[in-house]
Amino acid sequence: MIINDTITALATVPGISGIAVIRMSGDDAVKIVSNCFRGSAPLMEAERNTIHFGKIYSKNYLMDSVLVSVFRNPHSYTGEDTIEISCHGGNTTYSLIIDELISQGARQAEPGEFTKRAFINGKLDLLQAEAVSDMIHSVSVSGSIISARQLHSGISTKIKKFRQILLDACSLVELDSDFSDEDIEIINRKDLKEKAEEVLNFCTSLIESFNSAKIFRSGFYVAIAGFPNSGKSTLFNSLLGRNRAIVSQTPGTTRDYLEESILVSGVAVKLFDTAGLRETEDAIEIEGINFSHSVLSQANIIFVLNDISISEEHSDSLYKKIQEDYLAQKVYLIQNKVDRLPSLPEINKNAYISAKYGEGLPDLFNIIRTEIEKNKANINDILINERHLILLKGAAEAIRRAISELDYLSPNEIIAIELHDAARYFGEMTGQAWNEEVLNNIFSKFCIGK
Amino acid sequence: MNKDNKYDIVVIGGGHAGIEAAAIAAKMKCKTALLTMDFKTIGVPSCNPSIGGTAKGHLVKEIDALGGAMGFLADQAGIHFKMLNISKGPAIWSPRCQIDKDLYPQVALKYLQSLKYLDLVEGLVKEVKLIKKKIYSIICNNGTELTAKSLIICSGTFLNGKMFTGRDVSVGGRFGEQSSENLSDLLENYGIKRGRLKTGTPPRISAESIDYGRLDIQAGDMNPAPFSYLSNKVENKVLCFQTETNEDVHTELRKGFGDSPMFNGIIKGIGPRYCPSIEDKINRFADRDGHKIILEPEGLNTNSVYVNGFSTSLPKEVQINALRKIRGLKKCEILRYGYAIEYDFFYPYQLKYTLESKILPNLYFAGQINGTSGYEEAACQGLIAGINAAAKIKKLDDLVLKRSDAYIGVLIDDLVNKSTEEPYRIFTSSAEYRLLLRQDNAKYRLCDYAMKYKLIPKERYNQLKSEQNIIEESLFETKNIKIKADDINSYFIQIGETTLIDSTDINTLSKRPGVSLEHLINMTNAKPKSLSSIIKNKELLNILNIEIKYEGYINRQKKEIERFLHNEEKRIPVNFEYNSLSSLSNEAREKLMKIKPESLGQASRISGVTSSDISVIALFLR
Ligand SMILES: Nc1nc2c(ncn2[C@@H]2O[C@H](COP(=O)(O)OP(=O)(O)O)[C@@H](O)[C@H]2O)c(=O)[nH]1
Repeated sequence: MIINDTITALATVPGISGIAVIRMSGDDAVKIVSNCFRGSAPLMEAERNTIHFGKIYSKNYLMDSVLVSVFRNPHSYTGEDTIEISCHGGNTTYSLIIDELISQGARQAEPGEFTKRAFINGKLDLLQAEAVSDMIHSVSVSGSIISARQLHSGISTKIKKFRQILLDACSLVELDSDFSDEDIEIINRKDLKEKAEEVLNFCTSLIESFNSAKIFRSGFYVAIAGFPNSGKSTLFNSLLGRNRAIVSQTPGTTRDYLEESILVSGVAVKLFDTAGLRETEDAIEIEGINFSHSVLSQANIIFVLNDISISEEHSDSLYKKIQEDYLAQKVYLIQNKVDRLPSLPEINKNAYISAKYGEGLPDLFNIIRTEIEKNKANINDILINERHLILLKGAAEAIRRAISELDYLSPNEIIAIELHDAARYFGEMTGQAWNEEVLNNIFSKFCIGK
Repeated sequence: MNKDNKYDIVVIGGGHAGIEAAAIAAKMKCKTALLTMDFKTIGVPSCNPSIGGTAKGHLVKEIDALGGAMGFLADQAGIHFKMLNISKGPAIWSPRCQIDKDLYPQVALKYLQSLKYLDLVEGLVKEVKLIKKKIYSIICNNGTELTAKSLIICSGTFLNGKMFTGRDVSVGGRFGEQSSENLSDLLENYGIKRGRLKTGTPPRISAESIDYGRLDIQAGDMNPAPFSYLSNKVENKVLCFQTETNEDVHTELRKGFGDSPMFNGIIKGIGPRYCPSIEDKINRFADRDGHKIILEPEGLNTNSVYVNGFSTSLPKEVQINALRKIRGLKKCEILRYGYAIEYDFFYPYQLKYTLESKILPNLYFAGQINGTSGYEEAACQGLIAGINAAAKIKKLDDLVLKRSDAYIGVLIDDLVNKSTEEPYRIFTSSAEYRLLLRQDNAKYRLCDYAMKYKLIPKERYNQLKSEQNIIEESLFETKNIKIKADDINSYFIQIGETTLIDSTDINTLSKRPGVSLEHLINMTNAKPKSLSSIIKNKELLNILNIEIKYEGYINRQKKEIERFLHNEEKRIPVNFEYNSLSSLSNEAREKLMKIKPESLGQASRISGVTSSDISVIALFLR
């Protein structure tokens, strides 16, 4: 059983880049590097947390000038002796260096192996390991920030607290059965119900905060809807700041939808240009366009674009219909092509823009920004990922069932089953209840070098 | 008795564990000797004169299902039978009976004497030797010498037993009996670690001195049911009576606290939290102004009455003064004072699941010597140790009951993995899969095991299988029989249930609270095969009713069991180097190295081992 064999892998994204970082961890990390490193002082004696400039050689052939950071067991990410080599980017340099390290006795790391070692050596708990994995997969800057917060802060403290409440309630319910021959009432059902409701409230608020936090993980969705030729593609392009969608004067050119991302307030904003909504006879046919529907229903914001040069009210019925159909979405009516009007109307209720010439675009960005901020305000210190959400929903379900069993005057052992179930879900969130699948999942999501 | 004194199995101790171990080994046709200090004390109930109770009743049913003696003996000596917790859920219904304390040892002795392969031998152990790592030689004070291939130690509270009443201390394992000192030291010399525990017993008072007119009656069940399938019928022959303590009683008791061996530090063993002495109770539940007391007659031909709920080791005059302040006991006379007893036990983590020692081969431990309390807990261990010792001699598989099989499995798993800080008592809360481990289905749950070791007759097994079949088929049939709304609504109106619109199957209908399954089945005209036979059998019908009412939960627990078994199958190599995993806590590492769990599941139940320890091991095993 050898666990401290020395592993190595590229820690930065492969491909052309300014610098690349190679990570190495294990008992022989320092020794292996010092075999091929020449600097001003011998690496073997290097103190922990020091950086050394020098050159990496392979059989007397100079490969690169590098910076070598030395971390000593247990003061490193993995808890083992660790070396990080910053070399120049470029496809060949780092792979040659890694080859050299491997020929000196290191082994190519498996995906997630560094984090796995950190976990095995007690440097990270399960939740933190998971946060590392979330961080790697997060789409936006804030997402990473929040994952990092989860990595360091006590998100689990609250969950643990509520799990304990459940377990305590459970043991009281069970004690009640155990001591049924004595005439001691250990817990009354009213108190029990109150406790259950308290935990349920916690679950629901956490689930809400997850929905808000979703924008940091998968992005904030903005859909642009409107009749053909209202200027959707044009707006899409000007928001992106580059020419992407086909702009034409023939209605119906925008097929399906187009998607692009921009960064607003540190959040990845996904823009969708939906297919044009056609008007048939008198009825507005939006149900027929399924693809648009799926995009609209996912959106955080829908901009309904109106060509004001036709009339200011031209899209009102469409706007109303979308508002009715998409209750969860913020729907805005945007007046486009104001450059065609001789003068702007007096009352400035809606956003008046010219997609083509860029007028009023800051207003749109403001709308987006405000919505993002509102979402952020909903997120407490707590943030959870998809796995947590599923567990949380499971726990909430179990508690709801426990409450209804309490109302039905069901026997203690049934209530106990539900409360235990809920506690198990909580435990799996924090890693207090052991579940092999969870473990496998967390470590299988990693990529090499992490 | 055997001429050459050579046995397959020798059982030391004739308490409840010893009886089961000896009897089952003899039933499995091993030449067995039961070594006891005195034949007359075999099976003496040293504490309460009752068998069964919450969770303990489950154990007795399981013992009976595996061909053990306790249920059968209790039925014969029983004088007051009651199913406890009837007002609660079916998982915790528990049978209990009062026994005649003089009759029980007699029926036990008679039963043991009837077993062909069993010899009863009197003697106090002076020396035990393991010869050539193969044969145990047991030498007694009276010169008797026995040899055995396997040795089962069931010496109860007799190892270095010390009894306390106030500041009086005497040596002994039970009132009026000597204790066994050599054996404990011998075992320690073999490297087996021991500790000290304590337990207590309440005073006995004379029946004539009780003012029954002032007490509440506690009668047995109208139709009392026996524990054992071997018994046809049992009868209630006595009444119990209920009263309670009050503030005056508590004041009297407090006067003796200074002299209580529990409080003044004379007793070093740790007492049971769950069967607390009265002094413990008034100390711990200081805000309660009374505790329930039940007066239980100890037999038909004795005037001795057991004061249940009043376990104490306070000085004699305090005991009598306090008792006389209780309603109905104003003039009571004490026949025997309550006392506490402190004794040696051997840490059960030194045992395998078969109850064989990890240190010495073919040496088994069962009963209070393993740190448990209670007759039922002792008996089931004796049974398992006996079966395994015999199985080993007969070259059969080990019998290891899992937590999902039986309360017995829960108990042994807890013993081996959880450190005993106090005498271990079984509880319904100890079992995770309570809805499946009911007292009513113990015989079905365990019949395959019982058959495998031929512990029950083949006919019995076949009958159980066919009953199981009827229940299963009936369950299925209820899902396919529909009742028309018009036919049932008048019944629903009568019992205050909401009426039906469409015709509905009787399975769904009987899940409604207050609806009688029996009534529904009776209403159907063309009853299918199994239902028409189950309707004639109250017991099976009752099980069917439970299986239907709790079907959803029962199925969920079955799913959980699958998960549980999955982890039980994740083996950990015996030579696993816990030392090389630096992130394990010191406590976890120490425990893991001590217990050497066989599976990840077992490791996860060791006290002090956290789930992150388990995750680390699991990652490592991948
Ligand atoms: N004058 C003016 N023309 C615009 C404006 N926005 C779009 N157009 C024109 O309207 C036509 C249709 O635009 P397009 O973006 O393809 O509309 P879509 O069908 O809604 O995607 C194109 O010829 C655009 O140049 C605007 O703000 N001002």
